[in-house]
Amino acid sequence: MCNMGNEVFLSAENILFTVSMIGYFITMILFFVFFAMKNEKAGSTAAYLLSACFGVHTVALVVRTIGAGRLPLTNNYEFATSFAWGIALVSLIFIFKYQFKALGAFSVPVIFLVIGYAAMQSKEVKELMPALRSSWLFFHVSTAIIAYGGFGVSFAVSLMFLLREKMNGSDFWNQHIPDREWLDMVSYRAASLGLLFLTFTIITGSIWAERAWGSYWSWDPKETWSLVTWLIYMFYLHLRIRRGVKGRSAAIFAVVGFVCVIFTYIGVNTFLPGVHSYA
Amino acid sequence: MSSGDFRSDCRLSGKVTVPYMRKILKFLSSMQFALILLLVLAAACAFGSFITQGQTLSWYTTAYGERAAAAIMLFGLDDVFHSIWFVVITAFLCLNLIFCNVIRAPGLIRLWKAGFVPEKREKSCGRIYGTSEKDPAGLFSEMGFRKTVSGSFEDGTEYIYAVKNKAGIWGAWLCHLGILILIIGFGVGQMLKTETAVYGVTGQSKRIGDTSYVLTIDDFRIDLRGDETVDQYTTDFTVRNVSNGDEMSGTTSVNHPAAMFGMKFYQNSTGWAAAMHVSKGGEEIQNGVVCVGEVTPITEVPGLSILIQAFYPDFFMDADGEIGTRTSELRNPYYLYIAYYNERVIGMNALGASEYITIDDLTVWFTDPQSYTLIQITTEPFSKLALAGGIVIMLGLLLALYVQPAEMWARKKDGLWLVTGSSRKGGVLFDRALREKLEKAGIPASEKDDKEPPKGSSEDEKPGKPGERAEEDEKHGKSGEKSEEDEKSGEKSEEDEKSGEPGERAEPDEKAEVSGELSGKDLSEAEAAALEAMKLADEAAEAYRAAEERAKKAALAYKEARERAAKKFDKEEQ
Repeated sequence: MCNMGNEVFLSAENILFTVSMIGYFITMILFFVFFAMKNEKAGSTAAYLLSACFGVHTVALVVRTIGAGRLPLTNNYEFATSFAWGIALVSLIFIFKYQFKALGAFSVPVIFLVIGYAAMQSKEVKELMPALRSSWLFFHVSTAIIAYGGFGVSFAVSLMFLLREKMNGSDFWNQHIPDREWLDMVSYRAASLGLLFLTFTIITGSIWAERAWGSYWSWDPKETWSLVTWLIYMFYLHLRIRRGVKGRSAAIFAVVGFVCVIFTYIGVNTFLPGVHSYA
Repeated sequence: MSSGDFRSDCRLSGKVTVPYMRKILKFLSSMQFALILLLVLAAACAFGSFITQGQTLSWYTTAYGERAAAAIMLFGLDDVFHSIWFVVITAFLCLNLIFCNVIRAPGLIRLWKAGFVPEKREKSCGRIYGTSEKDPAGLFSEMGFRKTVSGSFEDGTEYIYAVKNKAGIWGAWLCHLGILILIIGFGVGQMLKTETAVYGVTGQSKRIGDTSYVLTIDDFRIDLRGDETVDQYTTDFTVRNVSNGDEMSGTTSVNHPAAMFGMKFYQNSTGWAAAMHVSKGGEEIQNGVVCVGEVTPITEVPGLSILIQAFYPDFFMDADGEIGTRTSELRNPYYLYIAYYNERVIGMNALGASEYITIDDLTVWFTDPQSYTLIQITTEPFSKLALAGGIVIMLGLLLALYVQPAEMWARKKDGLWLVTGSSRKGGVLFDRALREKLEKAGIPASEKDDKEPPKGSSEDEKPGKPGERAEEDEKHGKSGEKSEEDEKSGEKSEEDEKSGEPGERAEPDEKAEVSGELSGKDLSEAEAAALEAMKLADEAAEAYRAAEERAKKAALAYKEARERAAKKFDKEEQ
């Protein structure tokens, strides 16, 4: 329920959200042109456009925060748009930190899919149920966004790793995609970020669950699948230090891990009812 | 870690060694076993989430069919997370973590105390290095090494050495410890946990489970917002210990549990209740609060009872006979009741506020609909331990993933500084940063080549091992000599991956196993012999290559001579 002033903010958010979604789509197309037609200019433009889309997306989230009077982290739409924002954030950090613009070609399609999923959800702003009115909400959900962002980037880099095997020999490919050792390390760094923040998410969630539901852990499907995701990424970390495994197998498990992330986020809500039905 | 540790653990007497015990212990502590457990646990959790838990055989039969239902009940899949096999897998994980941490602790302590010292880097070189006449001291701070140590080795070579993020070696170990604490805290907590609930309306008093405490509901409020959505549920209550008269009052609301007398009180849920009246011959013979869903016996007639199945505060019935409530306000209250006699339904209907039920000479009616509160009461003595485990896991992960031990060193030989560094966890990213900093400082950066040792590094050092001696020592759980031997054996890539990261668990390897059986003297003799053998092997290989080369040349000369002879013969024929 919103007053007129808030309606203005929410309408503005709607426009900004749509602009950013279209922007991500154009960025994705430009990245495809960059790789398919080996067009350097398209690649550079795509990298700049990704930053611009992220900026508009950030403004959209800020405007929604003002319009809703709370952080946009409480329903399917809000979490999906924040999830896409998280992947964009981590992608940009990795792109600039490691001067690795080709990453966008693999992470932007994931961003677009997630923001597309957000667009299909109800954007209605509802008052929070008492269980959600907790300061733990911020810590629990914001850490999940960073975690999912890290996993998204690890997934994108691992895909690059696996494709790198197939594309060896192409000059264009070799120029823009670093060698496999480097990709393995960057994927590991992104997965590390994801795992650390997923651990924060699970622990802050447990603390919150105790206060709201009287139990730290009750094997709710969302809890269970976040644990499955955690176990898979733990497996990934250990696999990397096994003899002869670093590389391809690890990359495959980074991909499997992200499938678990997506199932934890979308699959659990769709197929397995539980107390996390609102997010 | 070395197999020597296992051997000493498994010795039953001073002389007898039990190989199978050693093998079992080796497997239980291995990373291979940890990997299997992680996957099995993940699969079990996924399985448990797909099968609806805690249902009856008939429910599963309806949902999945007879055979599947029988299998579910047989393997305890109706309660996966409390089944024996799930507990056994978790227990094995604990065992694996305990063995792993116990075995690794001495090596980590050694590494912490003496692993990161200039002497360990006297002859080694990282993958990236630069050589220059310039003093490289400034490069250390550029690479984030704040403290440096300078001095000279025994042979007079000057050096500068620095280490950072040493604490990172403890990351994985702490993380394992945290998981252990969490599992133990959670497991024991689940066993000792007590949980009960008290529900009722304002003014009611009820005993808490089978304890000596009685809870009185002083007030229950549902705070509504302007749009009639619920803002908060709040219960004020008093708990009294009837055995000694101790009394405490508190307030609980959603997300704000109250704690007293070692118990925690959670505002769990709410529902509708009403006062049920029973009269006979115009005289009220029974009067009490009844909650929706609660079966209440009529005391006058044994076997007769009433259940309020549902309550509709703003009742409606549409043309199709469908019933429901329009709002949550008490505008048109209706009670859907069921009357039982000896557990058989004898009547069922929706009853308005001014209506009543007649059963023989009894009259039953309901008044004063109001919300009841349900307070969940738990005692969970080990919850803090589990929480502490969680915090230790976070700390461990932070150290393991983000505090990467790194070393940087420089040594001066023949007026030329060799600057290099190494970080196993930083890997190629650390190397890239070092390369950038070297080039920025005007020092050409080179990547270590297997064939050409960098100038300024020791002649007897085999390149290709990116200067990981100190960390290797830890991973083998042995002294530095073992690592040196590995370097010289040239098994770089295999050993690197087998050994893992500093502070990470390494698989016990066969080479370590062999040396683990030898005494210190034997070890040095064996090493000397191994070195000699390798030297001879190298010489033999070199001689073989040279002979092969000579044979090739001879074959070529023979071929050319034959061709020449053939041409000459052809000419003469013509």
